Amino acid sequence: MGDDMITDGMLDMFIFETEQGLENLENICLESKDVGEFDDDHVNEIFRIMHTIKGASAVMMYQNITTLSHKLEDVFYFIRESKPEKIPHAELLDYIFEVSDFITGELEKIKEGSETDGNADDLIEQLDKYLKKIQGGKAKAGEKPAAPAPAPQEKQRYYIAPVASDDSKFYLIYITYANDTDMANIKAYIAVNALKGIAEDILFTPSDIISNPDSANVVLEFGFRIALQTVEDANHIMELVNASAGIENVEIHECTSDDFIAFCMEAQSPVSSAGEVLTAPVEQPTILVKDQKPQAIALTNEEEAQKSNEKASEEKQPEKPASKPAAKKKPAAKKGETQSFISVNIKKMDLLMDLIGELVIAEAVVLQNPDLKVPGLDLTNFQKSAAQLSKITSELQDAIMAMRMMPLKNTFQKMNRIVYDTSKKLGKDIELEVIGEDTEVDKNIIEHISDPLMHLIRNSVDHGIESNEKRAELGKLEKGKITLEAKNEGGQVWISVSDNGKGLRKADILEKAKANGLLGNRSEKDFTEKEIFNFITLPGFSTKKQVTEYSGRGVGMDVVVKNIQDVGGVLDIESEEGAGSTMTMKIPLTLAISDGMIFSVSGTSFVTATNSVKEFIRVSSKQLIVEPDGEEYVMIREECYPLIRLNRYYHLKNGKENIEEGIVIILSHEERQIAIFADELIGEQEIVVKPIPAYIKKVKGISGCTQLGDGSISLILDTGDLLK
Amino acid sequence: MRILIAEDDFASRKFMLKFLSKYGECDVTVDGMEAVDAFLMALDADMPYDLVCLDIMMPTLDGYQALKAIRDIEESRNIPEDEQSKIIMTTALNEGANVNKAFELGCVAYAGKPIDQVKFEKVLRNLGLI
Repeated sequence: MGDDMITDGMLDMFIFETEQGLENLENICLESKDVGEFDDDHVNEIFRIMHTIKGASAVMMYQNITTLSHKLEDVFYFIRESKPEKIPHAELLDYIFEVSDFITGELEKIKEGSETDGNADDLIEQLDKYLKKIQGGKAKAGEKPAAPAPAPQEKQRYYIAPVASDDSKFYLIYITYANDTDMANIKAYIAVNALKGIAEDILFTPSDIISNPDSANVVLEFGFRIALQTVEDANHIMELVNASAGIENVEIHECTSDDFIAFCMEAQSPVSSAGEVLTAPVEQPTILVKDQKPQAIALTNEEEAQKSNEKASEEKQPEKPASKPAAKKKPAAKKGETQSFISVNIKKMDLLMDLIGELVIAEAVVLQNPDLKVPGLDLTNFQKSAAQLSKITSELQDAIMAMRMMPLKNTFQKMNRIVYDTSKKLGKDIELEVIGEDTEVDKNIIEHISDPLMHLIRNSVDHGIESNEKRAELGKLEKGKITLEAKNEGGQVWISVSDNGKGLRKADILEKAKANGLLGNRSEKDFTEKEIFNFITLPGFSTKKQVTEYSGRGVGMDVVVKNIQDVGGVLDIESEEGAGSTMTMKIPLTLAISDGMIFSVSGTSFVTATNSVKEFIRVSSKQLIVEPDGEEYVMIREECYPLIRLNRYYHLKNGKENIEEGIVIILSHEERQIAIFADELIGEQEIVVKPIPAYIKKVKGISGCTQLGDGSISLILDTGDLLK
Repeated sequence: MRILIAEDDFASRKFMLKFLSKYGECDVTVDGMEAVDAFLMALDADMPYDLVCLDIMMPTLDGYQALKAIRDIEESRNIPEDEQSKIIMTTALNEGANVNKAFELGCVAYAGKPIDQVKFEKVLRNLGLI
C-alpha cells in the first residue's frame, strides 16, 4: 500500500484482505502451472478466495468486482462439484490472471479515491464461454451437466463508504478574546458552531464552554483552541470564525493528522465527562465522537477495550449497568488470544530507528566525555556500568534492525508471475529457480529493490534467454532457466539474477560504445571486462536492435543502477558469451548505522565506512611519484595508487604536507583503489549517517555527516564519489 | 414508506431529514431510547417503520443497543425476517470491528459519515425500499 493512508478502517480492511486473497490466488496458479491442473485443495481454496472477494466487494458496493469474482466463483463451483476431466488449464490460468489484474487495477483506483469504473463485461463473457465449454465437455462424456447451482446465498449487507475525505486538512485554531468580553464562552461556541458546517471533525478546549459558565474566564485567560478537520482552506475558516463577534486575534495553523490527534489526546484527558451527561446531553456525544478517533488510530486493542469499558462506566447507564461491561469484555479477550502480530506504522518505526541512532551518539558522547579525562580519576565502576550500557544499546540496535527485517519471499514470489507473463508473451519456455528467499533485508531496502529486480528479470527473459528454436539449434537444454538467488555476504545482501542464455557480447557493446563516443581516447583493449559491461548501465544504451514490449529501449539499466545506488548498493555484472550472465545487486543490510573509521585532516575530522578501508600505511617520500601535471601516485608493493591529499582537495589550511608525517589510507570501491592522505587516525566508531542539510551545496566526495563521541560533526567520505 | 431517524447531532439530523424526506414520511428522535420507544409505538399502531437510520454515538442508548433492542422486539413478536425493518447505521465510526459488530447485530447497511448520498440511494434501491 502507498503512503497515503486511507483513514477509513473498513475500506482499508477490504483492500488488505482482497490483496491478500489475490496474492494467494496467483501463488496457487503459479504452483500449478507446471502440474497442469488444480488439485482439490487448490480448487477449494480458489473458490473460497473468490467467494470472499465477492462478498466483501458486494458489501463495499463495488459492483464490477462483485460480478467478475462471482463469475469466476461459478467456474470453480462447477469444477469443484462436477470435477470435469481435462480442462484446458493454461487457458483457465490466463483467465484467472486477467481477473486478478482487473481487480488489482480497481483496487488501485479505490486507493486513489477515484471511481471503480473498469468494465469487466468482456472478461465475464469469456469466462462464461469457458464455463460453457467445460460444461459441454462434461455433457458429452455422458453425464448430466451440473445444474447451474448458485452458490449459497447469504444475506446481503451493504457498507456505504463515507464521501472521500482524502484531501481534508487539519488545522489548529487559536482564538483570543479581548479581556472585557462578556460571555466569551458563548462567543467561542458560536465560532465552533460556525465551523461545524464545514467540519469533518472538530474538537475544542475548554470543551465545557456551554455547560460551565466559569469557562468564560478560562477562555479569556488562556484563549480558545480548536482542532478542525476539513476540506476547506484557511481563508474560508478565517471568514467563518471572524463572523462571530468580539474576537481579538485568530491564528490558524495547518497541521498534520498526528498533531491533530495529539491535540485530541491532550484535550480529552483533563475532561471529566460524567457531569456533562447530566447537564448538557447534547454536547456530550460530540466529544465522544472525537474521543473515539485518536483511540482507533493510536491505541492498541487492549487499551481500546479498556477505554470502552471506562466509557461504559462513565456514561452511567442505569438500564443495565451489569450486563454492559461484561458484554464489552468478551470481544477484547478474544482478540488477545488470536493476535500475535501487530502492524505498526512505518513512520513510527523510522522514528524509533532515528531515536536509537541518537542514543548511540549520546552514548558515545557520555562515554568519551572530556570530563572523564581528568588525571587520577578512578573510573572502575564507571567503566563497568559503561560496558553494560554499551551492551544494551548494541542489543537495542540489533533488535530494531531485526524488527525492520523482512524476508525477501514476497518480492521473489512476485517475480514468478513476471517470468510467467513475459515468457508466455515471448513464447519462451523458462523456469525460475528461487534460492534463499528467506534471506531478510531491511524493509526500506526491499521497497527500493523490487523495481530493479523486476527489470533485471525481464531483461533476462527477453534478451538473456534465446528463443526455443535458437536454443535447440545451439544444442542447449530447451528450457531456459533463470536463477534468482539471495544470500548474506559480510554485512551485505547479494541478490543475483542469472540466466543460462546467450550472455553479453563484448564486441557488440564496445562497438556501440564507440559509436556513442563513450570510449574517449582509450583504446578498446584498455577496457576491463567490468568496464565494458558497465557500459550497458549508461542511459540510452541498448545493443538490442528490436524494441519489444518489455525491453530494448535502452531505458532501464541506468534506472536500475540508480535505484540500487540510492540504497548504497552496487550492481555487479558477470557474463560469459553463450553461457549466460549474472547480475548481482550488492546491497548493505541496513541504511542508517554502520561502522566508520575516523581520521583528521588539519583539524577537520572525516569518516569513511570501515569496510571500504583496505589498509593504513605510512609511506616514505621515495614511494611518492609526482607527475608533471601535479597528479600524485604512491607505489606500494609494486602497485600504483592515485593519491588524493584531502587538505589540498578540500582547501584546508595547515594540514601536514610531508608525506612521511601523515598517514596514507587505501580505500577500495568496486575493485578500484585510491589512496588518500590524512594527518592522523582517530579511531573507529559506529556512525549514524545523517544527510547533509539541503542548504549546503553538494560537495564532491562527501555523502553525509555524522556526530562523533565528543559531540563534533564529522563528514562522511564517499569513496565511490571520490573515484569518479 | 415510513422512516425513523435517530440522530443526536443537530446538523446531521437536519441533513438526514432533508435527504430522506423525499422518500417518505420521516420521524425523528434524538437518542436511542426515544428511537426504541418510537419503534414500539409504531408497531403497536400497526404502522411499522420500513427504514430505521441509527446513529451510533448517542446518549442514554447508543446505536448498537437500539439496534439490538429493535431486533429483540421484532423477534419477540415473531415478525418474519422479510417483514422486519431495514436498519441502516449512520456513523463516523468506520473501523472494521464496529462495522462487523453492527452487521452481527442485524443491520442491513452501514453508512460512514459524511454520508455518500448516491450510494445511500443505491442501497435503498437494492433493498427494494424505493
